[in-house]
Amino acid sequence: MMRLEPQPGEVIDRGRPLTFTWNGRTYPAYAGDTIASALAAAGERVFSRSLKYHRPRGLLTADAHDPGCILQVGDEPNVPGAARRVSDGMAVAAQGAWPSLRFDVKALNRLAGPVLSTGFYYKTFIRPRRLWPLYERVLRRFSPGGRVPAAPPDGRYEHRYVHPDVLVTGGGPAGMAAALAAADLGARVLLIDDQPELGGHLRWGGPDDLAALTELRGAVAEAGNIEVLADSVVTGRYEGGLVAAVQRLHGSGSLTERLVKARPAQLIVAPGLIERPYVVAGNDLPGVMLSTAVRRLIKLYAVKPGDRAVVFTANDDGLAAAADLERAGVDVRRIVDAREGGGIIRVRGRGGVRAVECADGRVVRCDLFVTAVGWTAPTALVTMAGGRAAYQAGAARFVPAELPEGVLVTGGLAGDGTLDELVAHGRATGQDAALRATGASGGGAPISSLEPAAHPQLFAGRTDGVVDFAEDVSSKDLKAAVAEGYDSIELVKRYTTATMGATQGKLEAVNAIAVVAAATGRSIAETGTTTARPPYIPISLGALAGRNYQPVRRSPMHDWHVEHGAAPLVAGQWIRPDHYGDPAAEVRNVRQHVGIVDVTPLGKFELRGPDVPDLLELLYVNRWRKLAVGQVRYGAMCTDDGVVLDDGVSGRLGEQRYLLTATSSGATGIGEWIERWLQTEHPDWRVHMIPMTDAYASINVAGPRSRELMERLVSGIDMSNEAFPYMRVRLGTVAGVPDCVVWRIGFTGELSYELHVPSGHGLTVWQALLSTGADLGVRPFGVEAQRILRLEKGHLIVGQDTDGLTQGFSAGLDWAIKMDKDDFIGKPELAWQRVRDSHLMLVGLQPVDRRTVPPEGCQIVEDGGRIVGRVTSSRFSPTLERAIGLGFVAPHLSEPGTVVTVVLPDGGRVPAKITPQLAHVDPEGTRLRV
Amino acid sequence: MLLLPCPHCGPRDAAEFGYVGERVARPDPNAATPQHWRSYLYLRRNPAGWTDELWLHRAGCGRYLAISRNTVTGECRSTPGEAG
Amino acid sequence: MAGPGAVRFRRPSRSRARYSGLGLVRRGVTGSSWPPVWRHHELRDRYDVVVIGGGVHGLATAYYLAAQHGLTDVAVLERGYLGGGASGRNTAIIRSNYLTPEGVRFYDRSVRLYESLAADLNFNVMFSQRGHLTLAHSDSALRTMRWRAEVNKLQGVDSSVIGPSETAELIPLLDVSDEPRFPILGGLWHPPGGIVRHDAVVWGYARAADTAGVHVHQETEVVGIDVAGGKVRGVRTSRGPISTSGVVVCTAGWATTVCDLAGVPLPITTYPLQAAVTEPVRPFLDTVVVSGTLHVYVSQTDRGELVFGAAVDPFPSYSTRGTLEFTEGVAAHVLELMPALAKLRVLRQWAGLCDMTPDFSPIMGVTPVEGFYVDVGWGTYGFKAGPVAGEAMASLVATGKTPELIAPFDLARFTDGRLVGEKGAAAVGH
Repeated sequence: MMRLEPQPGEVIDRGRPLTFTWNGRTYPAYAGDTIASALAAAGERVFSRSLKYHRPRGLLTADAHDPGCILQVGDEPNVPGAARRVSDGMAVAAQGAWPSLRFDVKALNRLAGPVLSTGFYYKTFIRPRRLWPLYERVLRRFSPGGRVPAAPPDGRYEHRYVHPDVLVTGGGPAGMAAALAAADLGARVLLIDDQPELGGHLRWGGPDDLAALTELRGAVAEAGNIEVLADSVVTGRYEGGLVAAVQRLHGSGSLTERLVKARPAQLIVAPGLIERPYVVAGNDLPGVMLSTAVRRLIKLYAVKPGDRAVVFTANDDGLAAAADLERAGVDVRRIVDAREGGGIIRVRGRGGVRAVECADGRVVRCDLFVTAVGWTAPTALVTMAGGRAAYQAGAARFVPAELPEGVLVTGGLAGDGTLDELVAHGRATGQDAALRATGASGGGAPISSLEPAAHPQLFAGRTDGVVDFAEDVSSKDLKAAVAEGYDSIELVKRYTTATMGATQGKLEAVNAIAVVAAATGRSIAETGTTTARPPYIPISLGALAGRNYQPVRRSPMHDWHVEHGAAPLVAGQWIRPDHYGDPAAEVRNVRQHVGIVDVTPLGKFELRGPDVPDLLELLYVNRWRKLAVGQVRYGAMCTDDGVVLDDGVSGRLGEQRYLLTATSSGATGIGEWIERWLQTEHPDWRVHMIPMTDAYASINVAGPRSRELMERLVSGIDMSNEAFPYMRVRLGTVAGVPDCVVWRIGFTGELSYELHVPSGHGLTVWQALLSTGADLGVRPFGVEAQRILRLEKGHLIVGQDTDGLTQGFSAGLDWAIKMDKDDFIGKPELAWQRVRDSHLMLVGLQPVDRRTVPPEGCQIVEDGGRIVGRVTSSRFSPTLERAIGLGFVAPHLSEPGTVVTVVLPDGGRVPAKITPQLAHVDPEGTRLRV
Repeated sequence: MLLLPCPHCGPRDAAEFGYVGERVARPDPNAATPQHWRSYLYLRRNPAGWTDELWLHRAGCGRYLAISRNTVTGECRSTPGEAG
Repeated sequence: MAGPGAVRFRRPSRSRARYSGLGLVRRGVTGSSWPPVWRHHELRDRYDVVVIGGGVHGLATAYYLAAQHGLTDVAVLERGYLGGGASGRNTAIIRSNYLTPEGVRFYDRSVRLYESLAADLNFNVMFSQRGHLTLAHSDSALRTMRWRAEVNKLQGVDSSVIGPSETAELIPLLDVSDEPRFPILGGLWHPPGGIVRHDAVVWGYARAADTAGVHVHQETEVVGIDVAGGKVRGVRTSRGPISTSGVVVCTAGWATTVCDLAGVPLPITTYPLQAAVTEPVRPFLDTVVVSGTLHVYVSQTDRGELVFGAAVDPFPSYSTRGTLEFTEGVAAHVLELMPALAKLRVLRQWAGLCDMTPDFSPIMGVTPVEGFYVDVGWGTYGFKAGPVAGEAMASLVATGKTPELIAPFDLARFTDGRLVGEKGAAAVGH
């Protein structure tokens, strides 16, 4: 057992023991343990296998960025095991190793190491071509990562919007001080930290650090206007100052993660520093750790990281780590200080550290090699926000060089200092932010300077070692890439995949840059950095998606349809009744008796004002100025390129009152289209438009007996053919519901009435129609029957029988287009289309074999295979008992009686005849007018 | 996402708006040549920099707004009264 | 063997630099390194042809000029590093199941060039023809798919409409619960489609062009284009002027600004197109999955990462910063399709620039300025067309004749009112 005696700042709760499984075996842990700390406490040292060569990997950083400890936890892949806390009964497993972590067959890759050099796959498997899919299958077998479950995993996700004045990311001493100072000045502060509790590096410091930590934590807890989000990481700052953080929730039911979004007036970035690994042979052996890793293990989790250690340091933190190791009972065999000229040649061992070979020739046996060779300032949030980072050679790190508007930095990201200096800088930054945020002044108190401390530039030793631990890319690979001509950092990155793995450059980018700089003979500053891209840490799809809000629209009669067995049809946002069992029977019932269909999604817009006729003249290709009160008319709209946009009937309900209808799918867009012309081109016109789509429930009553049915329910309207003829509109009471609009139109080709009923009464009217008309044979019909009926009648559907290039004259709208109008949308293009006269034509089609219905989308060809048209609509007509359709054909084929060739999906070819007009049933329109 | 300045509602997330396009004058439909008309339909300045655009505040006031926007930096300015 | 005067197809890399498994072993054992993939050259003050843009289109154009037409006095000018623009930012999907006969023919040629590209360039571009599946969530989507499939078949392209159960078999984690918000009614199945390693295509063309004698200039920005008497005379660059009588613009995202230098206005609006990649997971998805309704496409790389793409951003911009809305939207849509992926994490997101044209088709060919050719307006479909566009543009520049394959995509169609019908598919969205 490696568990130490209780440590002063430990975060484990020894009163709450837990158990969990690791690769099927049960292990003990304490509440507060991470998976990695619990396993390390039990003496485990190997947690994963490296990506390419399957070398065993142990803990390196012992924090969220640890590349050697990515694990499968239950149904969750790729969990950072050095950050995720153990919960009771958790099932943890290693990823990617086969058959086991201890004995991994894929480690044989190591033998092929020299051949599997960087980019090897670009250079081989080229011939023969047909074998590549096989090679690819083998390559895929070596892909890393965990497993996704077959079924949706447990867990719930949500989004939260917060509105702080100041958002501080990083709860170390400077971040806490900044939050406190901002709050003191009255700012609402959100303080975000990735750990379960605030404190940053103070948590593994000495007694003075722990005392300061207690004081700062207490002050934060007492401050009224600081909200602390622990276990949370800011993932990015986006355009418009939007900041997002992902918060991991523990013990709040099934809620797993929350995405917290804010637009703080000021963002203070205080993430501290990330310790950098050292590039040298053997640097990925289990037992090679960063100084911060061993300090975390000892101080936070009371885990002894090894028995005999060598420490390689270039700063005082390495010495502090050595002292901590000694206090923990580790035999520190040697401290090699780079500042005194010390160096390391290689780390020896197989499966773990055995010895360290020093530059002076001494070989020191040990099982732990600790490095403290410098820091990386995580500038990613600053650069993502539009700032700039620059390399400071004296401090051996990139530092923020230019801050974007609304972003301040403090703590290690800004510079180094004593605890007092860090706190003072944090306070000043917090004050500055609060004053800026509350608009009190241009800026707060002058911020004491916090300069990055001098540090040796120590990145890589004389031997080659791993640079990117996640991607298994070594300094040798980087040099080879440079030698092959991939000589900029971006090209090297893409060629070797260095910095493209789970750590996204946070650990390895600066080392990679240093190696590339050395190989190209350029400086680090000249070499530059790669672009940091969000998210700062990987973020789950669940958290990003949040709760799933996909709006659905239902008519007031929706539940009735469901109760009566309607098959649902998803049409955009609407759920509509497709049919009630037998669409053909529904068609026949409409043709013989009477049917009712729910057409609520129909776009409806009330237009009021004296200039409505001007608007209609502009919107539609046809004429509207003489429409009398009580009349309705079919209209078609085009866009200014002459392409058919929408169609529908519109009616004049009163002197200055019109109701315009648009297709169901076009409804929203047409409302915006009308407003656009009114607001931008003709703001002088006196027209008000009121969207009424959801305000009315709409029902079409169709069939030879529809008048009889309507007469029983309507009051205040003379329903006789003479008083209320075809294409007229009346206002009246239906089934006791006043203020209904009734118009007599004929999409189905039958005598029919369309009712627009105040939507709260839709169901009442629907049920009244059915109960009142039972003896007339009234039956509901669905969208499918409606489509068959309209196709029998030859009515086109915009978007189905037209496409994105179909201009007015192609859609058979010749009769409607009035070129003598002064202006209408699309007029010039339609004029030119008519002159050109070479467009496809929409025609009626009837397959010669009456039983063969070519599916919609089938192509019409001539000369063996040249495409000269297509079928846009087709059905079997229950009325005619034959196949019918609409389609486009080239002009030379559009003459009625022409027989064209339709290609079926199975390749078969069938002849079809062009009909004299689009309508297949009742082309004269007598049934509409009875 | 960007914050757009709505003269009626204040600064709002661009997700509330619909982008309509560069502001282009519609030529006289009875006088325009095909080339002139199709320039209006298809050609755009598409500058890397400031551009005058039409936006619809769809989830807000429902007004069409003239907005000047820098397509590189994301800065936005409302140009009130010019939507027409 | 080609006789004198005949077009010589130069096979690159007959030299010691030839890539092969054997070469890998030899160099692995001897420890010798590979020669550079391309060389650095001084910028000459004149070239026969100057290609602007060091992405797949520009490099392919230069390569085919040299390899198929013997024109080797060619410079490729790249402002940054090779493949740093749209070529390195796309989701590397290859397919030819377009809607119009001209579109299908054109992209089918591209697929065929991709199939032999690794061998032609002696560089494994890892073209993985795992199949491309577009999901239909509505009967109107299904109808458009039938239309596409029928046109595809008539052009000899393998493409068919399949039913919900076949679709579910191809995508194991698909939500087939009773009433999903977006039911799967079927799909358009296109077996030759797949994904490719996009950087490898760029590097392979660059290496082969270099071998054939082309000068590839990185870090060389075009700052001016000289036109006199209706003809192009030269190009001014950040490294000095070049006189030339032939300029081919092969830029994505910056076509407008480059063509403005020559006074050639374009019907183009530039939009960012964003993409994201997840952490790797064990392979489970063999096909490229697209949902037009949900505006999302998904594929799994050989490394196990899922690559997500979507529609272009809702408004034009030259910013490649990437938005949170994009990842939120793409996550929601992916989970609509495959709810089992909720715990998978997005590792990185990025954006590229897409030059959108009014008819969702590219612009290739001559311009009103003599000697000034464009290969632009590639919207979201440029990478797929890199090889064929390069081949066709090289032919145009070398022979002065517009190949029939690209004739429908000329610039003049916008003044003549002959738009390409790919817009049909885009507009039949509802």
